[in-house]
Amino acid sequence: MSKELTGQIAEIPGPIKALVVIKEPKVAAAIIKKAKRPLIIVGDLATKYDEKGFDSISLITEVGKAVNAHINVTGPLIRKFRETGYDKVYFMSAPEVVDRLRDESWKGHDGNGGYDLVIFIGFRYYYAWLMLNGLKHYAFKWLKTMSLDPYYQPNATYTLPTMKIGEWREFIKKILNIIKG
Amino acid sequence: MTKRLRFRVDELKTDIGVLKGLELQVGKIVEEWEEPEGPTPMPSIADLRKWDYKLLQRYKPMYLPFCDLCCLCTFGKCDLSRNKRGACGLDISAQQSRIVLLACCIGAATHLAHARDLVEWLIENYGRNAPIDLGKQVFLEAPHVRLVTGIKPKTLGDLEDALDYAETEVTRLLACTHIGQEGSNLDFESKVFHAGMLDHVAMEIADIAQTAVLGFPKADPDAPLVDIGLGTIDINKPVIMVIGHMVEPSVGIIDYLKKSGLEDSVEVCGLCCSAHELTRYSPERGKIVGPISWQLRFVRTGVPDVIVLDEQCIRTDLPLEAKKINAVVIATSAKNMQGFPDMTHEDPDKIVELLIAKKIPGVFIHESETEKIGEVAVKAAIKIAPLRARYKALPSEEEIIKMAEKCVQCGNCVRACPHNLPIQDAMLAAKNGNLKKLAELYDHCIACIRCEKACRANIPILTLIMKASEKIFKAEKFKVRAGRGPIQDTEIRTVGQPIVLGEIPGVIAFVGCANYANGGKEVMEMCEEFLKRNYIVTVSGCAAMTIGMYKNEEGKTLYELYPGTFDAGGLVNVGSCVANAHISGAAIKIASIFAKRNLRANYAEIADYVHNRVGACGIAWGAMSQKAASIASGFWRLGVPVIVGPHGSKYRRMLLGRKDREEDWYVYDAFTGEKVYVGPVPEHLFYAAETKEEAMVMAAKLCMRASDTTKGRSIKLTNYIDLHKKFFGELPDDLHLFIRREADIPITMKDEILEFLRKKGWEERREVPNPTLLEELVRKNE
Repeated sequence: MSKELTGQIAEIPGPIKALVVIKEPKVAAAIIKKAKRPLIIVGDLATKYDEKGFDSISLITEVGKAVNAHINVTGPLIRKFRETGYDKVYFMSAPEVVDRLRDESWKGHDGNGGYDLVIFIGFRYYYAWLMLNGLKHYAFKWLKTMSLDPYYQPNATYTLPTMKIGEWREFIKKILNIIKG
Repeated sequence: MTKRLRFRVDELKTDIGVLKGLELQVGKIVEEWEEPEGPTPMPSIADLRKWDYKLLQRYKPMYLPFCDLCCLCTFGKCDLSRNKRGACGLDISAQQSRIVLLACCIGAATHLAHARDLVEWLIENYGRNAPIDLGKQVFLEAPHVRLVTGIKPKTLGDLEDALDYAETEVTRLLACTHIGQEGSNLDFESKVFHAGMLDHVAMEIADIAQTAVLGFPKADPDAPLVDIGLGTIDINKPVIMVIGHMVEPSVGIIDYLKKSGLEDSVEVCGLCCSAHELTRYSPERGKIVGPISWQLRFVRTGVPDVIVLDEQCIRTDLPLEAKKINAVVIATSAKNMQGFPDMTHEDPDKIVELLIAKKIPGVFIHESETEKIGEVAVKAAIKIAPLRARYKALPSEEEIIKMAEKCVQCGNCVRACPHNLPIQDAMLAAKNGNLKKLAELYDHCIACIRCEKACRANIPILTLIMKASEKIFKAEKFKVRAGRGPIQDTEIRTVGQPIVLGEIPGVIAFVGCANYANGGKEVMEMCEEFLKRNYIVTVSGCAAMTIGMYKNEEGKTLYELYPGTFDAGGLVNVGSCVANAHISGAAIKIASIFAKRNLRANYAEIADYVHNRVGACGIAWGAMSQKAASIASGFWRLGVPVIVGPHGSKYRRMLLGRKDREEDWYVYDAFTGEKVYVGPVPEHLFYAAETKEEAMVMAAKLCMRASDTTKGRSIKLTNYIDLHKKFFGELPDDLHLFIRREADIPITMKDEILEFLRKKGWEERREVPNPTLLEELVRKNE
């Protein structure tokens, strides 16, 4: 099976496709670590693939802490993120945060400046497809995007390939381990 | 009012001879009515542009291109990525708006053509002078027609001028999408609004025409409760299924059954809006199978003997599916003839004979020939039912397990599913004899069968899901209130003030199709939440059906628990898609009946009133069609926000406000002319939510309006804060933007909120009892 299969059959990417399809966790870790102002946007499906030994909220928060990223939670999962005690967790819906990200003058959640890398995780495939495409066209000059969901998202600058869920869990854990060094 | 003078003589004997079939038409006469004509009778594209731009300045389009290319002309395909322009010069923003306009033109044209065909048929049968009588409590019969065209229709014939106008405008709008026309995305957006406004005129015409003469409930809050659900269909009788949006086939079938004394011998049921119209016409005989996504489910059960197609939203492969179960298909709309022979003028018995003998694959009988449709459908159903007994069952469990064994676990089904449902896992379980996982898909599956088309092993996956869910769907026996049509003028008088002052927290409209991202239950849950909170809840179309398909622990649906009155805590089913015009019409009526604003051809002023004072919000959770797009755009032009579900993001743009930009939220105080900051009310105009929780919180927020009194704002804030805390566990971070004075703060939360406000550095600001975005209205309505 080709790793660059889109998550839905009819979602044919446009002429500009992902710059990098991340095949190794160390590549994702390097991109995340390199970012100066990363923002992780967490959708409502972030816990969909949780199982014993894979707690996505804890993993995302640890990544956030490791690289000093802001975490933007879009839905009811905000309660659980608050419980982590991480003080850079913000609550804003996906349309609203994407709308602000396409505005170069937006100074971010803390007012200290815009972001240079936005990481999406926990979204319905088509919903992320559209949000990422909006940013691809309207924020490309100042923003790189990354998808960490287990599907090839060609509208992100950096995307994982489509992978089996078990494989994806290990991949995400490895990214965290590398970042934490 | 402009009016055609028509003079018709069938036969006139005079001293000089006999005149036959004389018809004379002498231009138009003008009939005046008491209200002075406003500035924009029958507005053309540019006439309301200034108002549109007021809205678009606040609610800027956020484009989310679904496709980066344009392939509409032979220059293309053109790559529009990242501000490249195509060979015609268009950029990606304008292209997105252009596609939205195309969608809205399709939607508006569909309702217009529907209205035109319906009015022509009604005039043919009831006469041009049949009165627009919507019952004793409805004097303002056609708020959209009056507002947009300046016509006050009294008879069916009066509706034709409004139709002429709207058809001309939609044609003009469609022309704007041609290569080398409009180049500005904002002007495309203004045209989108125009299409939506016309769409509501069209819908209103269709619904008031049929309600006036066909014996539908007339603004009746106690419209009867009717059966809904697969389990309500008596499969021991011949079954006729109607599907689409028109009432004509149902009229023919019900009337023929009555005339021939066969009422108790044949089951008549419907899907989508045809089912609404069927049960409005005959609540005793008609039954609703379910919303549009139930069509293949029902056909796969093998139950329908005769399938009567009309128009809109019908699967175009339904005749192929019907063939698999040996059912008879009758197409009745020229818009959807399915390649069948046209036998509109053929003898009914001969048609039945040909259908039963399978000498023709189906038949087209024009919708105007309702009697013939009725006779053919009933006779064919009675004849074919005994011949189809073996088709009226799903395969056995053993058979579907055998089918599942063919699964190669390629995963194409999951990638083809719009919701990425875990079909692959369910097939694996089914292979091993466990059908539970297949049954779990039932409530989430919209029966689009994209999975089947992608399946390498040609497994009829939906049939497997249906068999696994047989117990569930056989128990689907619910009640839904038949569509009541318009809102009474007296109801508007009762609720006008509390709505405008904010004391009723809002009007929430659940409308649209059934493309739910997470099952239909979410719509019912949202609806129940707002009913419990004393909002006025209006519903229509497939959403109205879905809401009725869940029971509480006592076995009752929301329709059995809440009254059908347009009042706080009321659940108002207006009816089919075209009845949506009564929901927007109610907002217009508030401006006219309660606030005594002139309605006639006075669009911008009324829209400004609605936008700033009427706390209403639409939720089209499963919006799917082009019609849904144009219906939404009609609400936008009135300044009423619409929330769609996640799939609604595929409409490729939202209209979002930026609450952090204070300069966007100033209005004029119409008493003083002073420009005053009112906060982001309402914050967005078109918004695709990710979750039902987000939609509910957002809807409560979007019901706030600039004119709210302190008591009203306090009530609205109570709901907003309470929902926010309930779902997100904390106070909303933007609360300070909605609190103008300490008196706005809900009393039970005062300490907590004052502390929050202190941290935000909040200061009191003045209220604006008479807000407007239109400078020309300053001091006008004192």
